[in-house]
Amino acid sequence: MQIVLKRILQLVFVLLGICVVTFLLVHMVPGDPARVIAGDRANPETIEAIRKSFGLDQPLWQQFVTYAGNLLSGDIGQSMRYKRPVTALIGQFIWPTLFLTGYVICLAVPPALALAIASARKPGGLADQIIRIVGIAGMAIPVFWLGIMMSRFFGVALGWFPVSGYGKTFVDHLHHLFLPALSTAIWMVPVLIQSLRAALIEKAGADFVTAARAQGAGEREIFWRTILPNAVLPTLNLFGVIIAFLIGGTIIVETVYAVPGLGSLMINALLARDYHVVQGLTLMFAVTTVGVTFVVDLLSALIDPRARL
Amino acid sequence: MNSAVKALVPATGPLLQIDGVSVSFGSAQVLKDVSFQIAAGEIVGIAGESGSGKSTICRSAMGLLPSTAEVSGSIRLGERSLLTLGEAEWSGIRGREMGMIFQNPASHLDPLRRVGSQIAQPMIRHLGLSRKEAMERAVALLDDVGIREPAMRAKSYPHELSGGMKQRVMIAAAISCAPKLLIADEPTTALDVTVQAKILELLKDLNARRGLGIVLISHDLGVLADICSRIVIMRQGEIVEQGQTAQIVEDPRHPYTQLLVNSQPGRKKLRSGWGKPGVQEPLLQVDGLTVSFPVKRNILDMLRNRTPGRFKALDGIGLAVQAGETVGIVGESGSGKSTLARTIIRQNTPAAGTVRLDGRDIGGLSGAELSAYRRNVQMVFQNPYDSLNPRMTAIETIAEPIWRHGLADRRTAGEEAARLLDMVELPRALGERKPRQLSGGQCQRVGIARALALKPRLLIADEITSALDVTTQAQILELLARLQRERELTLLYISHDLSVVSSFCQRVYVFRNGRIVETGAAQEVLTRPREAYTQELVASLHRLPGGSAAMAETQAGA
Repeated sequence: MQIVLKRILQLVFVLLGICVVTFLLVHMVPGDPARVIAGDRANPETIEAIRKSFGLDQPLWQQFVTYAGNLLSGDIGQSMRYKRPVTALIGQFIWPTLFLTGYVICLAVPPALALAIASARKPGGLADQIIRIVGIAGMAIPVFWLGIMMSRFFGVALGWFPVSGYGKTFVDHLHHLFLPALSTAIWMVPVLIQSLRAALIEKAGADFVTAARAQGAGEREIFWRTILPNAVLPTLNLFGVIIAFLIGGTIIVETVYAVPGLGSLMINALLARDYHVVQGLTLMFAVTTVGVTFVVDLLSALIDPRARL
Repeated sequence: MNSAVKALVPATGPLLQIDGVSVSFGSAQVLKDVSFQIAAGEIVGIAGESGSGKSTICRSAMGLLPSTAEVSGSIRLGERSLLTLGEAEWSGIRGREMGMIFQNPASHLDPLRRVGSQIAQPMIRHLGLSRKEAMERAVALLDDVGIREPAMRAKSYPHELSGGMKQRVMIAAAISCAPKLLIADEPTTALDVTVQAKILELLKDLNARRGLGIVLISHDLGVLADICSRIVIMRQGEIVEQGQTAQIVEDPRHPYTQLLVNSQPGRKKLRSGWGKPGVQEPLLQVDGLTVSFPVKRNILDMLRNRTPGRFKALDGIGLAVQAGETVGIVGESGSGKSTLARTIIRQNTPAAGTVRLDGRDIGGLSGAELSAYRRNVQMVFQNPYDSLNPRMTAIETIAEPIWRHGLADRRTAGEEAARLLDMVELPRALGERKPRQLSGGQCQRVGIARALALKPRLLIADEITSALDVTTQAQILELLARLQRERELTLLYISHDLSVVSSFCQRVYVFRNGRIVETGAAQEVLTRPREAYTQELVASLHRLPGGSAAMAETQAGA
């Protein structure tokens, strides 16, 4: 289990870097942050008061120490717009996003696996050609356009699914988020197929597959026990990147379908110049990405002994 | 030994009978009417160069050819005809009645599974053993194939084993279900010579103990002559000759077999070197040379403030090469011989020690002096394809160093390159070709021509024939010997093959783990090795009987 320890140690440094960057984020806002926070029409006294109350009159390093200390105690600031702690806001908005992410995974992974296998079984065959052409189309259609079209057709015209919101019960969630999840999955499936298909074809020609055949293994056994485990690693890494991206980046889909998730929160915070929320969200997205990568690394190490070095 | 085994064989006909087998891929025919047979308990060798179809015939016997191959003729294992089998029936035979091992054991083991389970798998599949029983037998098999601490090793992953151990694991898996026939496709080519000797010993032992019939494929006639009772010689998809080992080696009838026998390294003493007698200042002088590489360290080591260890690839090497000499560097992989070459051409920086050319330390050279040094010292590399730019024609490749060093304009450089093509005995028509349109031997000639383009005084040849067929190797060596005399070259010849080095070089340095273990006149080291390691190296040589006699003859004539 030395690898876990090693990775966690690496994570500490990465997280420290993230803290510095998010801290500097507010200071990189053009102009005086106090003036920005106070708004356009504030008088100098108000700005001075804000500067004092936010500790902006202190030296930069002292501000960072305060910031880091606050982070450690779980305080990532106060939203100007909602007048609530950013943690509470994130806690409220994260569930639809997590639900949506999980939903997308459930909708995307099984067909991606099945289609990649069907495609790689006979490269260049009819099934492979169709899957590839449809896949390219799926990747080429912009998610926002597909989202709008699907919500107009299935939501407005046919009335099968709600066009906005998140719902109250679990089944409600499934119903409300179906279209957003589907439009994301349509983009994600071809990406996963492409990666897995290439790896499957490559590993199917590997020497150890010939060796397994020479030891009398049947084709089915070879595929499930030898080719697939060896081919799944690159796709697993890609999958991790996509998941991290989904948690932080379903902005388009959430906006189109008005899902009250982190994407919507981010957009609103940006538009309202609610910098502490933006800062908090950035921090959270970064930490999520690091976390997902960590999990993927551990999974890779579980599958591939060579990754345990 | 073989006659004793043969006596045990009931006279029920051959174990494997191959009759008139032809294989073609589309319009390309790769095997033409191949027939031979193997009796139970016999070791039969198949010799041939790349493209001779020796692997194809064995893969057709295992049913491992790609589905695009069209196979005709008949292959019978005992009473059963193999070519008409379906996929399921094949699975029942492969691994059960015949096993196969391959050239590169590293790529033929599944990297994700422990070796014990890979050995156990065929037994679970074919013999219906439980996982536990199969694992116990796998450990016993590891012991059988000569792996120490088998119980612990069974839990290892392939990447944790050395090349020789991986091949032992492959063998253990192949013989796990006690097949009657083992097909070994160049099983020792990727291994060091001392490891090769041990693997061949193991195969011989398995043949004697278990009566295992073995088809041994090799490009190395010396290896086959050592352990096979019969040898089949293949060329361009056809069998040109087959017979008892003694007849093939001592009285080859077919001209190609004669060529093959005569191309064996060490058969012919090449006259190399042109040095004037008398003591002179050495051209190349290496003193106390140490080259080390940092060992990768991780973050835990960093926190514990452990200083990273340094791996010494070369450890205090000292050697000297006189102008006009041919000096050989011999060693197995990891012995530091390539590091030495790379340090001489300034691709590695020494941690200590000096390299001097004509008495001048090369460490401090820069600018024009460095360019001059580069013109004086040129290198030819191991892999003929990888060391040529795939986008440049042969002529462009050879001309490039000439105009780059400002010795001529591009047009004159091209003319000079054409002359160099003549010199390395390549037809000028090939000059317009790119590397992938040339054979390995032709590419290596281009590599030599490129190195000679700058009229160097010292030429470093790093394993330049190890990727080539044996007859091509003999031609390249002959070419090199001639060029050396004509162009007054000093040669540093690096190879893992002691027999090549000793037939080609005047003096030899034997490397091991970054140190020189023995040095002396080539013949001396080959015939009377002093150090234990050199003795082991010499013992692992597979020389054809009569080889040394032939060598002595040519020497006497020279």
